[in-house]
Amino acid sequence: MGERIAIVGVGQTHHKSRRPDVTTAELCSEAVERALADANMQIKDIEHVIMGSFEPADGYHIPDKWIMPECGVVGKSGFEMQNVGTTGGVVAAAGFTVAATGLFDTLLCFAWQKMDEAAGAFGKGGGGANEYWTGQFPMSPITNFARRAYAYMDRSGCTEEHLAMVRVKQDQCAQRNEYAQLKLGLTLEKVMNDTLLAWPIRRLHMCPTTAGAAAFIVCPERAVSKWTNKPVWVEDWFTCHQGGGLTMAEDPSASTLRHACEVVYKRRGITNPLKDIQAWEVYEPASTAELRWMEEVGICDDYTAFKLFEQDKVGIEKEIPFNPSGGVTATNPIGATPIVRLVEACLQVRGDAADHQVPGTINRALATAYGGQGENVVMLLRKSL
Amino acid sequence: MSADEKKPEYIQFRYPRSYPYYHALGYQSKFAHGLKQRRILATKCPECGRCTIPPRVVCPMHHCKQEEWVDQGQRGRLISAFKIHFPMFNSRTGELTTWQNPIVAIELEGGARMDGWCEETDTDKLKTGMLLEAIWRPDEERQGRVDDILYWKPIPE
Repeated sequence: MGERIAIVGVGQTHHKSRRPDVTTAELCSEAVERALADANMQIKDIEHVIMGSFEPADGYHIPDKWIMPECGVVGKSGFEMQNVGTTGGVVAAAGFTVAATGLFDTLLCFAWQKMDEAAGAFGKGGGGANEYWTGQFPMSPITNFARRAYAYMDRSGCTEEHLAMVRVKQDQCAQRNEYAQLKLGLTLEKVMNDTLLAWPIRRLHMCPTTAGAAAFIVCPERAVSKWTNKPVWVEDWFTCHQGGGLTMAEDPSASTLRHACEVVYKRRGITNPLKDIQAWEVYEPASTAELRWMEEVGICDDYTAFKLFEQDKVGIEKEIPFNPSGGVTATNPIGATPIVRLVEACLQVRGDAADHQVPGTINRALATAYGGQGENVVMLLRKSL
Repeated sequence: MSADEKKPEYIQFRYPRSYPYYHALGYQSKFAHGLKQRRILATKCPECGRCTIPPRVVCPMHHCKQEEWVDQGQRGRLISAFKIHFPMFNSRTGELTTWQNPIVAIELEGGARMDGWCEETDTDKLKTGMLLEAIWRPDEERQGRVDDILYWKPIPE
């Protein structure tokens, strides 16, 4: 059994579509400085560093070489990771795992993406991720989620109007989040008449490209009280890959999210997720994915989530506070997006989420990461252990 | 900021790149040889009997060695279809490209699933479960690549 660990500081940039005013390293520094300030720390207090980006999405390789000096962590123990959209999730999972060894008192974890610097990211990182098997197809999150949404609608009876309801809810949440990128004032009509990308996916259903970074600082229990009186305890985490086909021709509705949640819930005695978890920050790269993800995390039965939107049960002050930050369709610095989820979940547990704070005490929050065609990281946070 | 101090002008540079890669197929080479002979081969798990494409030495679910190769036939049923209505980056050229044909997921007669292009461009005519047949490149053009299968064509039952 490892050490008990807690997050003592979080930070993120104000996310934007373009940041020509900063390099990737300068962008990272913004998030790192905010996390350090939140933990009342200076960079000299950090003992171990883990960082990451989805390299094809901004085109820097061996990025740690360029970013470490700017963030003041030269000479410290640490490493860089990357794993498509899950990058920030594996950075976090690695951070938690290293923190739980008790070898270090303070760990800084951060991820970033400057998507304004690589227009063709998904040419290389999508279909081109494995040239032999998928190189001929223009694979991307758009095509991935078009296929998933097709399967979902085919099996559930969900309509395009239901998909639009999800997107409008996400926008309503994002408008209350000062860090979110897209705040559009959407209506059902606007979404349903938007440009069609790959049916049933319209432009507004997809996550944007974002320049942004996010960071957190995690400590073993013995060091926590030195830095904060509002720790957020990391109760559990699990990361896994899909065992099926590389080509997505496997069941398009399948994902590892359900499996990862089942493992974590079983270990922590969670039998009624909607009751036991009070806030959710789940990585939905397309608005349409939010429906299936709500089912896979155990909020409702398979192929029924769209009815919860029909009944107006999903929202910050409603029965199901799912993605109160506005989620990934509002903000997506892809490699950093899982840490944005984690930061937002921490703010909910602390009661520091300002205008998008879920009412009542948040004893538990769940944050997830999604990447590629089925990688998932599940991170369970608690107010007290 | 005083009147004679200008806001800094930030600069970005464009870097197009193209590098060759040489990726080994290993155990999957048998699949590529099969394509040259107009055959679609999949590995079969001895434990659950499931056939998988891409073929693998080990079943991803049961972790046992998959030594049996099964010919998946020339036909399959449609699982899903979608058409791309906007230009997307082509991973082979790096250029924005438009595609007229839908991408379909197919469950083959042998049970394995794979992706392909559909010959029918009108997605309203595509229905889940419909029968599709492989249309191959001519003999002299096939190289063992997945796109040796040009299209999947809907056929009457």
